[in-house]
Amino acid sequence: MKTVFVVYATDNVGTAVLEPIQTGDHVSCNGERSDLEVIAQADIAYGHKIALMDIAAGDTVLKYGLSIGSALSDIKAGDHVHTHNVESNRGRGDLAERAAASE
Amino acid sequence: MSHFMGFHRPNGDVGIRNHVLILSGTVYANGVVERVADTIHGAVPITHANGRCQVAPDLRVTRRFLAGTAMNPNVGAVVIIDHFKEEGMTAEDLADDIAPTGKPIATVNIRGDGGFISAVEKATRYAQDFARLISLEQREAAPLSKILFGTECGTSDTTSGLASNPANGLAGELLIAQGGRLLMAECTEWMGCENWLTDKAASPAIAEAIVAGVQHMEARALASGEDIRGSQPTGDNMAGGLTTIEEKSMGAVKKIGDSAIIEYLEIAEAPSKTDSGNYVMYGPGMGAESISSMAAAGCQVLTFCTGGGHTSNHPIMPTIKVTGNRGSFELMRDTVDVDVSGVFTDEITLAEAGQIVFDEVERVCNGYLTKSEALRDNNSFAIHRVGPSI
Repeated sequence: MKTVFVVYATDNVGTAVLEPIQTGDHVSCNGERSDLEVIAQADIAYGHKIALMDIAAGDTVLKYGLSIGSALSDIKAGDHVHTHNVESNRGRGDLAERAAASE
Repeated sequence: MSHFMGFHRPNGDVGIRNHVLILSGTVYANGVVERVADTIHGAVPITHANGRCQVAPDLRVTRRFLAGTAMNPNVGAVVIIDHFKEEGMTAEDLADDIAPTGKPIATVNIRGDGGFISAVEKATRYAQDFARLISLEQREAAPLSKILFGTECGTSDTTSGLASNPANGLAGELLIAQGGRLLMAECTEWMGCENWLTDKAASPAIAEAIVAGVQHMEARALASGEDIRGSQPTGDNMAGGLTTIEEKSMGAVKKIGDSAIIEYLEIAEAPSKTDSGNYVMYGPGMGAESISSMAAAGCQVLTFCTGGGHTSNHPIMPTIKVTGNRGSFELMRDTVDVDVSGVFTDEITLAEAGQIVFDEVERVCNGYLTKSEALRDNNSFAIHRVGPSI
């Protein structure tokens, strides 16, 4: 059994701050979600995040109980959560251009 | 109230170091500045790439950085060197800015004083006199309310927001409880958690300034033709596991605790208030510029929270590196001062980590050298630019 750290009770991701995680590892949660357990679907490097539940494309990814961005694709419980499947909702010049173009 | 032992300045400020500052007024004085500082016991050189061919708003910011650094309570005396007649910022202009502090100041002009060799000689004689003069000053007791405590984070990783930064926020609360002030800059890194900050703002005007500051920085990045995601989070942030600017920001703003934000400052601007509490300052996420802006605002001491391990150290403001990443602490044992990674293994609570950081800050205020100070690795003086060179 490996352990990740969850900062806030409403978070849908945990962080591998104690040990790296390999695909297939059973993962429990320290911090605010000791009730949750998932099976890693990918290797999670030290410092990286794992999905604690399914997160649909477009849904908000929550850490510290706050949005850290939106899912770019459907994320399954146990998946690695990072730049390949989450995008920021801030500092978006491309969105501003798209909005301006559609006016 | 707790006290620390510091150097009492004529204007009532209290320094935690007693440096002779050898200050370049312009890039073209850097060679003389370095030669003088090499000769003098305890002298600290500050050199930079500015001072010439700057548009007026940009030059004003440079002047605030340079004068503010010299006005910092950790500086006991200043020798300013420029090379000819620097438009809008001569050595005399800087001396005028610094004069209200009452500390000894001398100016040297390389052309006016007869070239490199004569300027080095003249400045070295001033610096020798100043070094001996301020060596007579002794540390005397001062209340912790005299401390303006700066805080920064850099080379952040996932541990930063979870351990070193919140521990620092708690340390800041301990200082504020003693009447002190905590200053956080880097408004780039407030993006995505403006509400968390504005909830603490002591007035609507401060809340508006916080939101406007973030928007201003975002707009400046967009005006460069790139949106901010191109540089924030940085590559090393992402390698460490941080995914978006919002995630980085939430971890970053936890460097301050729950006390009210009682003043919003422009970059390198000294607080007008002396009330205890949190202070915030406009400025970039670029670490060296950010900590230099806080030193120019008068911070005597700074904690630099780092995940990956950072080498940053300001020449006149002791820079205490704090990490929650045990691997970084082991790897950078000669550079990173405090390890709070025990939070993750239940060896210490976050509250205990806050006390550990506070205790280290208090020791450094009393004269204990940081690791980087002992190495004289004074790498982090940099001036924020707000206009092009012309």
